[in-house]
Amino acid sequence: MLSAYEQLAGPDEMLDREGRARPAYAEFASRLASWTIDDIDVRQQRAELEMLTGGITFTVYEDDAGAERIFPFSILPRVVAAAEWRMIETGLIQRVRALNAFLADVYSSQRCISDGVIPVDVLFGGAGLSLRMVDFEPPLGVYAHIVGTDLIRDQDGHFRVIEDNARTPSGVSYVIENRRVMLNAVPDLFPEGAVQSVDDYAERLLETLIAVRPEHVSHDETRVVILTPGGYNSAYFEHAFLAREMGVELVEGHDLLVHDHTVYLRATTGLEPVHVIYRRIDDDFIDPLAFRPDSALGVAGLADAYRAGRVTLANAPGVGVADDKVVYRFVPDFIRYYLGEEPILPNIETYAAVLPEDMERMCANLDQLVTKPAGESGGYGIVIGPQASDEELRALEERVRADPRNWIAQPLQEFSTIPTLLDGKLRARRSDLRPFILTGESSWVLPGGLTRVALRDGSYIVNSSQGGGSKDTWVLRTPLERDG
Amino acid sequence: MLSRVAENLYWFGRNLERVENISRMAEVSYFASVEAGGLDADPEIWDAVITATGGHGRFDEAREANPDISPSEFLLLSTENPNSLRSTLNYARSLARQLREHLSSDVWEEINRLYLEVRRAGPADGSGMAEFYDSVRRSIAAIFGLFDNTVQLDEGRDWFRCGIFMERADMTSRIIDAKSYVALPAGQTVGGPVDRVHWTSVLRSAGARQAFRMTHRAPPSGPAVAAMLVLSERFPRSLRFCVRAFRRHYEGATALTPPAVSVHVSRELALLDLDLSSLDERRLTEERLHDFLDTFQARLIGIDEHLHEQIFRLIPSSVG
Repeated sequence: MLSAYEQLAGPDEMLDREGRARPAYAEFASRLASWTIDDIDVRQQRAELEMLTGGITFTVYEDDAGAERIFPFSILPRVVAAAEWRMIETGLIQRVRALNAFLADVYSSQRCISDGVIPVDVLFGGAGLSLRMVDFEPPLGVYAHIVGTDLIRDQDGHFRVIEDNARTPSGVSYVIENRRVMLNAVPDLFPEGAVQSVDDYAERLLETLIAVRPEHVSHDETRVVILTPGGYNSAYFEHAFLAREMGVELVEGHDLLVHDHTVYLRATTGLEPVHVIYRRIDDDFIDPLAFRPDSALGVAGLADAYRAGRVTLANAPGVGVADDKVVYRFVPDFIRYYLGEEPILPNIETYAAVLPEDMERMCANLDQLVTKPAGESGGYGIVIGPQASDEELRALEERVRADPRNWIAQPLQEFSTIPTLLDGKLRARRSDLRPFILTGESSWVLPGGLTRVALRDGSYIVNSSQGGGSKDTWVLRTPLERDG
Repeated sequence: MLSRVAENLYWFGRNLERVENISRMAEVSYFASVEAGGLDADPEIWDAVITATGGHGRFDEAREANPDISPSEFLLLSTENPNSLRSTLNYARSLARQLREHLSSDVWEEINRLYLEVRRAGPADGSGMAEFYDSVRRSIAAIFGLFDNTVQLDEGRDWFRCGIFMERADMTSRIIDAKSYVALPAGQTVGGPVDRVHWTSVLRSAGARQAFRMTHRAPPSGPAVAAMLVLSERFPRSLRFCVRAFRRHYEGATALTPPAVSVHVSRELALLDLDLSSLDERRLTEERLHDFLDTFQARLIGIDEHLHEQIFRLIPSSVG
């Protein structure tokens, strides 16, 4: 079945160049060996049906109002060896510590500027900065409580960070649902007792949120809610999922009101105080008094209640400065500067057009590079140099020169692929990995993560909004590698 | 409980109940009109149902835009008709989607399954329509049952049931009233064979034919059917039964609500309950039935409005 499998330029997660299963996949591959393509297809369809009836869907904005789709799902998983995962875990915790230290610095003494760690244009040029956070320290000094960091495995087989998501990272609900669907659809493919459970996430999230409560409330009295923009948001499924799993209320802006710096929930039995808000709406919409006056999603007075220390917002407003695509270039320097350590998970080589020397190297090599707008997400606006026409590249150069702070470029990465069933054949498809890191008293990494996969032929873009799909991620419990 | 969640549970119950009622009424009309010689043979058969579901005049508009649309299609599957079975179900499902963390996954999956089934259904005038109606009602019954058996017993269930009984009271009164839109053909008398068929279809639409047969010897007549559907204490779709059940669930739902807030609706429900208990059956004769039902519906609307103003969307005058 795998004999006709064609590998791409990058490494394959499952098979080495000779077509042998890699050690982490050894047991999985031996179980799969007796399967035909049709067997896989039948199971795949069962999994998709289960997702559709379970309503495990996301909303597609461009379609008819509120059209829902399932996130295309592929039952051949990403498998990560135990030792490799330990390295990833340590590297992610290191990175999040550095991001939080950077945020604390940005909103207080700004030593990073006086010490020349980051140019002032870079720091103040982005959209994520919030002046309301200056001279305010959130509980436990944590700004980014929930982070999703995107990793790829590069040509040489090393994991690298491609992007940090520190504002409202989404996708964790799919990690948990994908696993449930897999356990039902392909129970016979799981190596016995070897895959780490992802079921603990909601418990850990609730613990994290309670840990960062305001000082005046006790652990057991803490009332946590999730604030959602509402049912038409693309990630609404996830908001409802997390509320259900944690057993907390899912609220919209008009369910809350602020009086005398206390936030209340409008209930049939009267008003009830709220202490921690896991907000899944953007900074701009949190409070119409403080940010966008036309926002109907937020709660008037919430920003002041937060600054008065009466309620905790997770993540903190203003964390966007840390996951800015230009600031990303400097994160390895933050790790060295704030922690005095060498980065465990390296970045990808990145040019920021705002730096004059980078600008010239970028513009001279646009046809070799992947150029990304800093102010976009979801894979929008990306230009892949080797696939672009001369005309597109000329237009791109104009745009880059007109607005340098908004552009970065990276060499095209031939990142790793995973076999994926498409049109009756197993095909190599590029995929990334988004693990989730929670930070309260300490940091914890969910053993697993969202594996996204580019389904279109030749595509390097894994985002769901660009036709990407997802896979389950198996982090192995004990090293299964049989040296070789 | 969050006021918005209470309101959504109430409307979730109402819309599910409405789906069931539409399917029952549509089924009766469907087979009656097939028997009468085709879906278009007797427009009055459909008028009554379309009016009862609040679509008066809309069908004519829909016909102008699309001359081929059958009344059955309009009532069941049209997405242009905001009161069609499908639109109502879509609304119930979007409420369920917003309520997911308050529903069990069993309840969610059943409504989602029904939603997908109706989305695939069509056309609404071929053979096998009985299976469709059957399947819809079976699914609604499953949702009610799953709700009872898998959702935590708290005020949310009471709000859900308030919605069901409010809608059922409203629908039953409309089903009885629909009879008044269907004039007897010339030469037919009250109590005659056509009149009897009409009242039998009222019973069927209210799911009450068998219950009527078990408690009445005489064939269906206006006064007997109206008396049962309005006053029966034992038939679970009668107005009296529904008002009483609504009242019980409302008291449960607001057990912890400050009395100053909940008392208005309480009072209106108690009065309505009392009025039904002491109702003179003579008010249910043919000539006076329509006025009685009109007043009843107006009182329900009043209660529903007060529920929204005083419980679901109350702006607190002071905090603390």
